[in-house]
Amino acid sequence: MNIRLHISVLVTALTAALFLMESPLPSHDTVSARAVAYAQDSWQKEFDDICSKTQDAMLFNVEELRNLIARCDALKPRIEKLEASERKVATKKLSVCRDLYEFVREAKEKK
Amino acid sequence: MRLKIFLSIILVLTLTGAALGQTGVKKKRPLPADFGRVVLNDHAAKAGLAPVVFDHWSHRSWFTCRVCHVDLTFGMKTGSTGVSAADNMKGFYCGACHNGKMSFQGRKVFESCAAKDPADGTKRCDRCHSLGKQVRRDYDFATYTARFPKERFGNGIDWEKAEDEGYIKPVDVLEGTSTPRKSLSIQKDFALGAKLAGMPDIIFSHKKHTVWNGCELCHPEIFAGVTKGTTKYSMVDIFEGRYCGACHTTVAFPLLDCQRCHTRPVQTGGGKGAQ
Repeated sequence: MNIRLHISVLVTALTAALFLMESPLPSHDTVSARAVAYAQDSWQKEFDDICSKTQDAMLFNVEELRNLIARCDALKPRIEKLEASERKVATKKLSVCRDLYEFVREAKEKK
Repeated sequence: MRLKIFLSIILVLTLTGAALGQTGVKKKRPLPADFGRVVLNDHAAKAGLAPVVFDHWSHRSWFTCRVCHVDLTFGMKTGSTGVSAADNMKGFYCGACHNGKMSFQGRKVFESCAAKDPADGTKRCDRCHSLGKQVRRDYDFATYTARFPKERFGNGIDWEKAEDEGYIKPVDVLEGTSTPRKSLSIQKDFALGAKLAGMPDIIFSHKKHTVWNGCELCHPEIFAGVTKGTTKYSMVDIFEGRYCGACHTTVAFPLLDCQRCHTRPVQTGGGKGAQ
């Protein structure tokens, strides 16, 4: 029983040591930098996915356009948390994209 | 003799006064190299710098309107963007290309804003903050456009023809900045009826406009109507900078060039309602 306990403690210690050797404990700066990078990457991906379709705006039906507009609105609060310059540019890009979808949606609904 | 001189002076003054009274002061047309020039003073004066002089002609020969006005988010009205040196230094606006790293046409694009002047002794800020200064430009208008097809007004260049004939190849995507997108489906050109009887109808080149602008540059900010016939355009509005006038009074070929838009042969019994 004692030997088994010793072995499991040893294995756990070795695993922990190997893990720490591979990836040292991240500092606070690294963590926040990663968080920022992830957040940025994440909003950018969503933005690209929504706004890369503007040239097809006329091909979407009203429901699809509504969905794109809702995704634009959901993205806005995330963009508002960005650094000032990036926020200014991203806000404008998002609004241009959203306005186009809204404009096409209204036009289609009037028909 | 004195009386004659006195009467001549009176006559000259009267005629000048009458001429000015009737027509006002004629607005001077810009020279071809100056057409489309924009003077930006968003933050310059506060920073103690001269306003920025931006030449549209060179940038439009390299990029589509969409790259700068949609992807880089430059506003369509002077001063509406609020570009700061800090924005440029972080790689936004001018700094997306003018970062000292990007190469274009085999030439390194100069860095727009930075804390230090370049090692070659040139004053960095003066390259753009150049109003009222004698600053040597990298590209000389006359030399650069010498072989381009000519037009009568604006820059004196037929930019559309220049692209068709391969003199310019405006880039539509800026790596790392532009939103990824597939190429636009070809849009059909369409006709817009002229208001006046005898005036040729307009053939609107939707194809050319969508290739250079995308959809979102014009809709809905400039053209809020998508259904043909819902918006009534007037030349008064257009001359005041609305609709087509957003670009065709300042950068694109000017409104004086009537035949560039009013191209459809006049039909007998014309005078249809404008669309």
